[in-house]
Amino acid sequence: MTEFIQATAFGLLIGGVYALFASGLTLIFGVMKVINIAHGALLILGAFLTFTLWEQLGLDPLAAIVVTTPLMFALGWAMYSTVVRPLRGAPLSSTVLLTFGLALVLEAVMGLVWGNQSRSARPSYFDQSFDIAGIVLPRAQVFACAVAILVLTLLYLFLARTWTGRAIRAASANTEGAALVGVNIAGVSALTFAVGVATVGAAGSMVSVLYPFLPGSHYIWIARVLSIIVLGGLGSLQGAAVGAVLLGLAEVYTQTYVSAAWATAVPYVLIFVVLFLRPQGLMGTRLREDVAL
Amino acid sequence: MKRDTRRRLAPTVLLSVGVVAATVLIGAGCGGDDDGGDSGDPISIGISLPLTGEFSQPGKAARQGYEVWRDTVNDEGGLLDRQVELVIRDDASDQNTVVSDYNALIQREDVDLLLGTFSSLLNLPASAAAERNQMLYVEPAGGAPEIFERDFQFGPFFTQQATADHQGDLFVDWLLSLPENEQPKTAAYPVLDDPFALPVIEAMRDKLEKAGVETVYDEIYPVSTSNFDSIANAVRSENPDLVANGAQFDDGIGFRRSLSKVGFEPKILFQTNAPSFGEQYSDGVGVKNTEGTFFAISHTPDATTPGNEEFVQRFEEKFDGEAPAEDAADAYASGQVLQAAVEGVGSIDDQLALADWLRDNTVETILGPLEWEDTGAPIGEFLIGQWQGGEAEIVLPEDAATTDEIITVRPEAE
Amino acid sequence: MSGVGSALDTLTESRTPWRVLIAVGALALVAYPLVSDDLFYQNMIILSLVFAIGAVGLNVIMGYGGYISLGQSAFIGLGAYTVGIATTKIGGDPFVWVPAAGVVAALVAALLGLIAMRTRGFAFVIITIAALFILQIVAINWDSLTNGTSGITPPLPRWDLDYQNWPFYYSLVALLAGSLALSWWIRRTKIGTGLLAIREDEDKAATIGVDTPVYKIIGFVASAVFLGMAGGIYGYYLGFIDPIGMFDIVISVQIILAVILGGRGTLWGPVLGAALIEPLNELSNQELGGGNSRLLIFGGLLALTILLLPKGIIPSVRELLERRLRRGKAALVGGRLGARRALNGRPGPEPVRAGRKLLEVKGLVKHFGGVRAVDGCSFAVEEGTISGLIGPNGSGKTTVFNLIGRTMRADAGEIWFDGERLAGPPWRRAYAGLGRTFQITRVFGEMTVLENVVAPLRSFSWGQLRAGAVSGDDAKRAEELLEFVGMGEYRDQPARALSFGQRKLIELAQVLMLDPKLILLDEPAGGINPTLIARMEEMIRELNQRGKTFLIVEHNMPLVLGLCDPVLVLAQGQCICSGTSAEIQRDPRVLDAYLGEDFSLEEPVGVR
Repeated sequence: MTEFIQATAFGLLIGGVYALFASGLTLIFGVMKVINIAHGALLILGAFLTFTLWEQLGLDPLAAIVVTTPLMFALGWAMYSTVVRPLRGAPLSSTVLLTFGLALVLEAVMGLVWGNQSRSARPSYFDQSFDIAGIVLPRAQVFACAVAILVLTLLYLFLARTWTGRAIRAASANTEGAALVGVNIAGVSALTFAVGVATVGAAGSMVSVLYPFLPGSHYIWIARVLSIIVLGGLGSLQGAAVGAVLLGLAEVYTQTYVSAAWATAVPYVLIFVVLFLRPQGLMGTRLREDVAL
Repeated sequence: MKRDTRRRLAPTVLLSVGVVAATVLIGAGCGGDDDGGDSGDPISIGISLPLTGEFSQPGKAARQGYEVWRDTVNDEGGLLDRQVELVIRDDASDQNTVVSDYNALIQREDVDLLLGTFSSLLNLPASAAAERNQMLYVEPAGGAPEIFERDFQFGPFFTQQATADHQGDLFVDWLLSLPENEQPKTAAYPVLDDPFALPVIEAMRDKLEKAGVETVYDEIYPVSTSNFDSIANAVRSENPDLVANGAQFDDGIGFRRSLSKVGFEPKILFQTNAPSFGEQYSDGVGVKNTEGTFFAISHTPDATTPGNEEFVQRFEEKFDGEAPAEDAADAYASGQVLQAAVEGVGSIDDQLALADWLRDNTVETILGPLEWEDTGAPIGEFLIGQWQGGEAEIVLPEDAATTDEIITVRPEAE
Repeated sequence: MSGVGSALDTLTESRTPWRVLIAVGALALVAYPLVSDDLFYQNMIILSLVFAIGAVGLNVIMGYGGYISLGQSAFIGLGAYTVGIATTKIGGDPFVWVPAAGVVAALVAALLGLIAMRTRGFAFVIITIAALFILQIVAINWDSLTNGTSGITPPLPRWDLDYQNWPFYYSLVALLAGSLALSWWIRRTKIGTGLLAIREDEDKAATIGVDTPVYKIIGFVASAVFLGMAGGIYGYYLGFIDPIGMFDIVISVQIILAVILGGRGTLWGPVLGAALIEPLNELSNQELGGGNSRLLIFGGLLALTILLLPKGIIPSVRELLERRLRRGKAALVGGRLGARRALNGRPGPEPVRAGRKLLEVKGLVKHFGGVRAVDGCSFAVEEGTISGLIGPNGSGKTTVFNLIGRTMRADAGEIWFDGERLAGPPWRRAYAGLGRTFQITRVFGEMTVLENVVAPLRSFSWGQLRAGAVSGDDAKRAEELLEFVGMGEYRDQPARALSFGQRKLIELAQVLMLDPKLILLDEPAGGINPTLIARMEEMIRELNQRGKTFLIVEHNMPLVLGLCDPVLVLAQGQCICSGTSAEIQRDPRVLDAYLGEDFSLEEPVGVR
């Protein structure tokens, strides 16, 4: 029983970080129907930036979020203006391929700048754990999860309570309608993309402490984010959060009860199963197909 | 508007692509072929190494070792009175690339001799390429037993003391020689899915099981594993006396750290590869976490084997005081073995003669005397090391030991 | 300058220069190993051939069918492992097992096609990625079969070294020839037309009788079978088969890049693309330090191609040349409406059983979230009538059409057609004799007008798939129908160039090609000029006299009330009334829901 609780604890903790990671992609898809496959590479970039800050300046990785988030925001804005905007309205598969190309470019650049050996940030608490009634809760995981929840809450408040946030949600629900009521779609799109990249930067800071990472690590993260949004339903932030936690739990349970060898297959198997059985995911709704107008 | 821009750009892009393609073809065509050298011309040795990608660290170390060897040989007059030239390519830790690299080296660059790459995973295909082209293959770092089970004629010759499945022999023998109350009763075997790490641990496990040590955990984790917490937790819940972790580098570090995270300190800990990386290992896991960890290694800078002192000195001079890593030493030893074969046969024309010479002879290297079975598998004893007081010491065999003491139970486990 | 000009003209208009170019290229390819023993280039060509085979295959499902697969390298791996496992565990020469590699790849492709039946676009891409990685993980973990990460070493080639790589080289050339032949054959048969229709508009294709799952599976299998065999040969050539190298997603990316760069949907584009990709691959590996530069080059090239040259090289060049040719000339499309020809000869007027209910809708319900678009709708259409369906916006008219045609699924209710309960996908309904047009016209833009009209299928048969796309009886019939609607002159125009009204005519011709019993017209008079409206009315009457039943949704009251009898009225998702046009104009419920109390037509109209 303890093993089960322990495994569940691990799964929930990592699920929080996954949720933050996936939220950016969901946001971006909601507004501009772009699946950003470079999301995984951006996560690793955030991790590398944090690592450098930690290594050179001794800045605590979780605190470094304050620095990496604005940096990634700016990068997101730049990416949008140069590469993503021309592709608005193009078929989804084109954007998938385009962002895949970008992901490879990012991987190459990271390899050239930081080298191809694996890194991880090792602040003082990285090996310590909270011990609660025999259940081990590694400190790094707990802090990371707490920060993730904080950032997600801020994001939620931003979307729900501010004008800009409402504009984003409007554009996400119905782009033409939002344009008609005066929402500056171009500006909102750029903003959304930048916010999405910024959140993934924050998630990257956490990843730098939790896992060793290489430029080539982005593949497993792409797999995870794809399975999260497939599980949770494209475009739904709540769905992404639920999907993220479910994925975290599924991975840990597989690693504990089945075998470590199959744990990496979990995101892919989930993708397969969900797309086959319930393509709209757990919480997405079947969109009205504007098929035959 | 936008479409027009795109249409204007399209021909430009077309043109550029055409120019690139033409340039590539012309450029490749202009890379002249050399004919084989006559005496007086340098002897070229073709090498592919993982200078980028997941094996980049040991790959770079291997290159350092090869370069020091080349400098040593050339300073002493060269090989058969000809200067040695290394032609090195980066295979990016990728099997497809390593094959095309060696094909290019052999067929395009017309190299006279070959030296091997790092890791069993890469040496498996590379040695097949060498065999197809009927060239001798001497490799510094590919100890998976599979490599030697293919009935090749031209090698591959592994220039470490033992293949993977024997590297833990001395350690197991020592364990079984301990007094009853100190011997481990239970053991856990978390292993990386890797053609090198698996045989080391599997061989150890088989021997220990036969001697009555109960296996309480036996799992293979895939290469892409980055989160070891649940694995460490599962190990912890079995509370084994001995943990033998088959690892390369990153996963060894990751697993060790996760053990600390879940707060489990086994009495005896053995890890392949990772602990042999010196400072990189202690930086990675934290110095205090290294204490008492056993590992298998082929080389130590303090060894008194012939040529070792000179090698270490040259290395430190060339690379700013940096001590040579094990992989650098293994590469150097490969160079020595190749040199011995060439000098023993007296020419480089008959690659099969070189191979046969190695089968019949023992070569003195900085790793000690090396000799081989017909398959190219080495016959010898691997060193066992242990971290003590923040330093990596050699503890077995006794005549190579750098310290008298062996920690039988790790301090934190008490 | 004019010399160049006329040269370019020849290149555009005539195919001969291109054929000569291709023949020379093929000859050079075949002769190369015989005249040169430079193994480096042979190696490069061998790798290019593998890429080319992959690209030509991918082009079938992606270029023709519009389905992007990032998992093609899985077939290379499957093929390699089949040959490797068979030759090491069972024995025999690796080449003997190559056909088996093709079979394995084809089976897995069929399986994937079945699974992907329910997914489209982006979801399909994701599934292909997932499939690739799952196969890789299976190869790693099933080590009793595959030897896991240690990989399989096939036996060394046993032929004389003087023959170098010839067996690999020529067998791959043969496979490339085979895959090109398959691609060419598919394109010119109904399979190709079906795939193109799926690419242009899958739902529309379904309504004109294209059994989309079957076509997709065929396309997918065609994309895999030669690649699987090439994979088997490649594994043998490489000398080492392992999960990481054989299930490499970057190779999938390179194959896609080859197709896109060369020109998707063209026959030779993928070959050109592959010929460009592999030298680039070598260049980055050998000269630029491999690893990161390879990723940079291919990732960047993929991104740039999608942004700047999405059509690919061959189509762009073709377009440039054609544009040059047509400069200064007026398009055909802007002309006046051509003359119509009456139907003749074709299977004569069909017998009509008056009074029989051809279509019966019982209690149809369809929700969208909280909105009940169709809320217990019931009505019937009698055979031989021209029935009208009117109602305010949002009353559910188009949704009802969608439900009848099965472009959407009903939440409840039954639909009976010609005495049988309608069930099954849209194409079955087309085979049963149901045709419909769309309010916003849907035609297959990239196909010519004639190809559009030839695309519909009245039934499904395997033999039919093999028939030429635009030839034989079907083509003749299509031409007749085009003459009937007055679009005969436009037969070779690309459909995307047509105006809205012209598209409506094409859609009608497509529907007629199905020889349907019941034709559903969704706002046939919407958005077109009065002359065309009159023509529409003419055609509808003529067809009706030949025994076709119509159900027409319209807002154009004079047309409806003059043409249709009976008229059904829909409001708030239900059929509230039906009767003659005179009755409808007076019924208080109808006036209340739709026409308005002050409704009056300028002239009294009745059914003529």
